[in-house]
Amino acid sequence: MRPLRRLRVALRALLKPRRVEQELDTELRLHLEMETERHLRAGASPEDARRAALVSFGGVDRVKEECRDSWGVRLLETLAQDARYGLRNLRRNPGFTAVVVLTLGLGIGANTAVFSVVRGVLLRPLPYARGHELVALRQAAPRAGIEDLGFSVKEVQDYRERSRTLEDVVEYHSMNFTLLGGKEPQRVRTGVVSARFFDLLGVKPLLGRSFREGEDEVGAEPTLVLSHSYWQQKLGGDPGVVGRTFEMNDKVHTVVGVLPPLPGYPDENDVYMPASACPFRSRASTRENRQARMLNAFARVKSGVPLEQARVELASITERLRGEYPDAYPKDADPRAVASLVQEEMVARARPTFLVLLGTVALVLLIACANVANLSLARLSDRGRELAVRAALGAGRRRLLRQLLTESTILALLGGALGLLVAGLALEALVGFAARFTPRAGEVRIDGAVLAFTLGMAVLTGLVVGTLPGLPAFERLARTLGGEGRMTAGRSRQRLRSALVVSQLALSFMLLIGAALMLRSFAKLQQVDAGFRTENVLTLTLDLNWAKHTNPEGRLDRERVLGVIEPLWERVRNLPGVVTAGSAWTFPLNSAWRNDGTFMVEGRHDEAQPLPTADFLGASPDYFEAIGVPVLRGRVFDAHDRGEAEPVALVSRGLARRHWADGDPVGRRISFDRGKSWRTVVGVVGDVRQTGLAQEPKDTVYLPFLQFPGFSSSLFVRTVVDPRTVAEQARAQLRALEPDAAVSNVRTLEEVKSEALSSPRLTTVLLGLFAALALAISAAGLSGVLAYSVSQRTREIGIRIALGAAPGRVVAMLLGQGLLAAAVGLGLGLVGAIGLSRVISGLLFGVEPTDPLCFVGSALVLSVVALVACFLPARRATVIDPMLALRTE
Amino acid sequence: MTLAKTNVDLLQGTLDLLILRTLLPGPQHGWGISQRIQQTSEDVLRVNQGSLYPALHRLEAEGWIDAEWGASENNRKAKFYRLTRSGRKRLEEETAMWERLAAAVARVLETA
Repeated sequence: MRPLRRLRVALRALLKPRRVEQELDTELRLHLEMETERHLRAGASPEDARRAALVSFGGVDRVKEECRDSWGVRLLETLAQDARYGLRNLRRNPGFTAVVVLTLGLGIGANTAVFSVVRGVLLRPLPYARGHELVALRQAAPRAGIEDLGFSVKEVQDYRERSRTLEDVVEYHSMNFTLLGGKEPQRVRTGVVSARFFDLLGVKPLLGRSFREGEDEVGAEPTLVLSHSYWQQKLGGDPGVVGRTFEMNDKVHTVVGVLPPLPGYPDENDVYMPASACPFRSRASTRENRQARMLNAFARVKSGVPLEQARVELASITERLRGEYPDAYPKDADPRAVASLVQEEMVARARPTFLVLLGTVALVLLIACANVANLSLARLSDRGRELAVRAALGAGRRRLLRQLLTESTILALLGGALGLLVAGLALEALVGFAARFTPRAGEVRIDGAVLAFTLGMAVLTGLVVGTLPGLPAFERLARTLGGEGRMTAGRSRQRLRSALVVSQLALSFMLLIGAALMLRSFAKLQQVDAGFRTENVLTLTLDLNWAKHTNPEGRLDRERVLGVIEPLWERVRNLPGVVTAGSAWTFPLNSAWRNDGTFMVEGRHDEAQPLPTADFLGASPDYFEAIGVPVLRGRVFDAHDRGEAEPVALVSRGLARRHWADGDPVGRRISFDRGKSWRTVVGVVGDVRQTGLAQEPKDTVYLPFLQFPGFSSSLFVRTVVDPRTVAEQARAQLRALEPDAAVSNVRTLEEVKSEALSSPRLTTVLLGLFAALALAISAAGLSGVLAYSVSQRTREIGIRIALGAAPGRVVAMLLGQGLLAAAVGLGLGLVGAIGLSRVISGLLFGVEPTDPLCFVGSALVLSVVALVACFLPARRATVIDPMLALRTE
Repeated sequence: MTLAKTNVDLLQGTLDLLILRTLLPGPQHGWGISQRIQQTSEDVLRVNQGSLYPALHRLEAEGWIDAEWGASENNRKAKFYRLTRSGRKRLEEETAMWERLAAAVARVLETA
């Protein structure tokens, strides 16, 4: 409060000086008049009275001056004077000013951009009411190695009813359905939720309402809530959309509301429907079967209840359920409910990357600061005389220091403004980058906090840059005045400049190592054998209208589904340029894919041990040829593996090796229902990285697609021509066969792989860019220091040359000086890099954070750059004319 | 800061205390304040009238007193100073401090 008031007083005095002076005048005049009158009343003559008043008052001008002092104007005035003087100075050195503003602008801009992402993603509260209380519930089966088993409808009910620490428990799952009623059938990602789902999140719809109590009960009218992006993109933001109807799964759904923009969490859903509207979820068999686990759950921890307490309670509820339903909670799987904070779930993947980036840009800014301080030091040497004269004319040490600080602060503020511009330009790209890691990327923007951060950064930078060169300069000021101290002052400053350059080089080395590690890691990732051949394969996701392909009991009608897909294979195979076509439940490298379960190897079951787990994937006979997965033993599926034929399966190489000593399971049997029925292994195929390049291939059991087709599946077409050219024809064939089928994700397998590599590629590019920027700045700094050193040593070098030193000797001497700085920088950077190696290890794939190759490579790059940076000023030294050099002093 | 015939040098900050105390009964202009201080101290404390004004302006900038323009007794434009709430608090603190100081000095004088 008080500083603000003082500032107001001072500003008023500064901005309305005439008015304020007038008021002071009036005030003092009144005093003198009244005092005069008092003396008059006491009987003094007018002249005496006037004099007496003036005497008891003291000097009027001095009083006025003291009053002005108490307004604090003086401070502002000198500040303004400093600023004017500083600006004039900077204008007089446009080159220096431009370089500094640009350097600081890039440094501050990078920091602002990365901070705005960190703020939007990691620091801002969730866009839900009391978002910090929201938890995601998972049911894990640790003994079976399953992280997310899902909850059954019964279980969600039980946890809701029994918990005292959770305010509410709602269910959630996401499925793709076909939405009819628009121009063409659309595959919509649908969040299937409890009626209270949005109330739990505290989300108020933009239009209409969210689901009502009871709308998730069987028999309720089917309704729909649209996501903001779907409403905008597919329905043109139609304000009258509430009340419109769409057909989904054979039911007419009425749109009741539109959501505000929200993070795509738990999934990037297009629309939401109440639980009862989902044909799978609302089946009696699903509702009644405690082991039909297909749901996720979300809850809100009651206000004031610590998360740990909720976790303990969940464990005790699980314990009771285990007692009541022992069959549903087998010992060898050990299902249990666990809770984690939604705000952490949403950013878990983004955190390490963005913290590394934040650290990187902070280092870049430090390097920029060091460089600017260095430039200022060089300029200070040139300004030595000017400053000395000002000191001689009575400017105090503090005043001169403040002058320097004002100048550097002006520079930093200009840099900050430029930085804001840089950040604004970079933001869109950075948001796109962040979106690969977190659903919260949409919340990134330059807001008040970011502006405050930038301003703070700029002021801090100004202080650092202004103080560094200021300190030793003044210690030597007196001697400069005396004229004899020039060398001493120069040498002390030179030492400081060398120290700055060494620290720049050290920091650059650390950044180079970070970039090299990312690069190497990326190269490793790129070389990973994903287990299939990406060349000339087209893939697309195909979703059949659920309503048209179910039998009267509401289950998938195998023959109807195959009635579309089998002829599709046949027709696509006959297209020109196509080698073969096949299908599977999903496409490889699909990070969202999860379909694991337990199985039993015949004659190999130990009651005490948990059952082994594997991924399950339905695949058609030609799938393996289409995507190029090698067949290692036995055979793949054929057209006979359908219907009630002898049940067969294929296994991946990894699974075969793990469970059969000779790696040959052909002819052996496995079971998925604890031995009630058995399936014969007929072949072994190569390992495929199904969920991502960085994930080791999982043990996989393949099932015949002809026996287990899906409403949603991926089609793969191997061609001898450019695969993109057959995309349209394949779609046309499908449309002819089944007009209601929705097609999405039309890509080549090359693109699928490239997509999987894109986040690490971008991280690598970003770190590489920052390291290059840091290196360039540092090289310029090194070069500048050496050039300065040459100019300071002109006389010495001139004498050396005059005494017959060969130019090579002189160059070698100067190079040696620069390389010494580089060597010390390398040493310090090495220590720093080893110290920080743990930070980056989370981002690396297949590379140790202390990878010697990266360290040596980075050291080489830095040394070469340092050598080049030194060579230019060193060469200039060799052309020094000894006579001229001697005359300069 | 003060020169008084009676040789009482006002301690640093004492003038502030006196001004704040003088304003306690109600608003007053600068000359009025100087007269009040002089009268109530029975002429022992004679504030150098000029030094009153920088102090007033400083107290105003600190927010302990507010100023507004009004008419003086002889109907001329005068700047009246008024104690603010934080000024009242300040006065209490300064008074307590002064009393402690005075008591301590008195004790020293008695025992020495």
